[in-house]
Amino acid sequence: MSSPVARRIDPVEMMPVDRHARRTRRLLRLLAALILVFLYLPIGFLILFSFETSSTPGLPITGLTLKWYEAMLKDRIIQQALFNSVIVAGVVAVVASLVGTMTAFPLVRARLRFADAARLLFTMPIMIPGVLLGIGLLLVFRRVLDVNLSLVTVIAGHLVFTTPFVVLIVSARLQGFDRRLEWAAADLGASSVHTLRHIILPLISPAIVAGALLSVTLSIDEFVITYFTVGAQPTLPLYIYTSIKLGVTPEVNAVATVILVGTLAAFAVGSLLLSGGRRLRRREAE
Amino acid sequence: MTVQTASAADPAPLAGSTSGARRQVGRLWPLAPGLLLIGLLFLVPMGFMLVFSFLRTDPNFNIVVDPNLNNYARFINIPTYVRTFAKTLVMAGVVTTLGLALAMPFAYFLVRYVSRRWQRIILLAVVVPFWTSYLLRVYAWQAILGEHGALNQALQGIGLIDKPSALFIYNDVGVAIVLTYLYFPFAALALYAALEKFDFAQFNAAQDLGARPDQAFRHILLPQIRAGIITACIFVFIPILGEFLTPALVGGAQGSLIANLIVNFFRGAQYAEGSALAIVIAIFVTAVLIVFRRYLRVEDVVARG
Repeated sequence: MSSPVARRIDPVEMMPVDRHARRTRRLLRLLAALILVFLYLPIGFLILFSFETSSTPGLPITGLTLKWYEAMLKDRIIQQALFNSVIVAGVVAVVASLVGTMTAFPLVRARLRFADAARLLFTMPIMIPGVLLGIGLLLVFRRVLDVNLSLVTVIAGHLVFTTPFVVLIVSARLQGFDRRLEWAAADLGASSVHTLRHIILPLISPAIVAGALLSVTLSIDEFVITYFTVGAQPTLPLYIYTSIKLGVTPEVNAVATVILVGTLAAFAVGSLLLSGGRRLRRREAE
Repeated sequence: MTVQTASAADPAPLAGSTSGARRQVGRLWPLAPGLLLIGLLFLVPMGFMLVFSFLRTDPNFNIVVDPNLNNYARFINIPTYVRTFAKTLVMAGVVTTLGLALAMPFAYFLVRYVSRRWQRIILLAVVVPFWTSYLLRVYAWQAILGEHGALNQALQGIGLIDKPSALFIYNDVGVAIVLTYLYFPFAALALYAALEKFDFAQFNAAQDLGARPDQAFRHILLPQIRAGIITACIFVFIPILGEFLTPALVGGAQGSLIANLIVNFFRGAQYAEGSALAIVIAIFVTAVLIVFRRYLRVEDVVARG
């Protein structure tokens, strides 16, 4: 957050008035608009091509149709892949948010002697390229443990990087936590379990839910690690990858559009929860 | 979320007191599942990767325990590997520069000229694509950069070129464009978080006191947003070292990066050889993270709603 003074000044009020500054502003606005176009261009094409009549997507558009959506709904392989993805994401979200939340507490509150190292350890899996995590797991699963790759190995792969995300989000929340609330509860005779249940968890629950939703989003979408840990049952991104490799039909674009809308919905709920919590906290502070 | 995780390090407890130690255990047990998970699924695999990198694969694709440094020697001796590694670093450098060059004015614009409400909306718009399918976003660029893609059609439409150009796809240009697209949001978020915290009154004050704009920038603004710049660089540079999908989909035969070589080894069941290359990358990444750990603000980038 900015300093209290800066926050109270509305940036619009600081808008420059002289001609030179106004030109700068116009240039910057144009650049920002172009960047947003750049960010949404591929997504726009993806959605556009999902309605394209021709089976070889390209410009100009030959006609609009819903047949790829119908084909998608009838496709057994897609349904199976979606089912696999949902199972994986569900398990991953539950385990990651549970383990991640537990980890966040001592990480933020206990006076760890190796706090720096511990935080680095839980940051590494987010920062290390997924390809390294994936081949590391593949190596252990295939050459050390000699287990068959399955959805279980996929879940293991997804937990490696989703758990640290939950740790991060819940830690950030715990850091802004007013511990006087806990002390007040203790003064009033609440046991530590009681305090956890009635004071701490309700206050950090938006972060936990946001972490769980983020885990779902990341897991549903995960391609790189899954690519190395997947067995005979593909997840949705793996199905899509295979379709792309084999020469794609607009059916995949339809699937993509549906995933996009689904992810957006999950994301919207998650960020509403996070910002709602933040607003609440700000109100408390004032 | 702008609270810096690393800054909360409390002073270490006094060693030696047994009751203190017991209390410490009582407070630390919730760490166990997390440590177990990260240990088993992250540290152990990395450890085995390191071990495997000193072994070799026999013609039947079995791992032979015969400790040697041949895998690393090969990495240094075979020009293709050195060239691809160097190219990957250059690519990562170019994309980081491009990403920052776009993200800096973008973040500055948001902080200085846009109301708080719109800042949130635009930031959300920046974040949304990067939570949607990575695979499909890369794939969609084929439709834009390809020979019959939108870019060629548009350029032909305005008469800039008269026949489709193969300049944008299946080469390094295409890879650079797509990578910039993929990692721009990270840079934008990191820089925004840094600039948002900066009190621009200081900048004006410096100039009122006689500093030239470039001096004010270098001595007032830059030191205060250094962590944001470093975070942005790390978030763009490091993932590119592990990128194999973008080169595979839009890079063509000559667009391969180092991760493509690693993936090829593993797909060819040459685990030992691939491990050595992977370890080189892993050590590089770990070193960067350790050196810059005090500046890295992961939560500025990922914990923002």
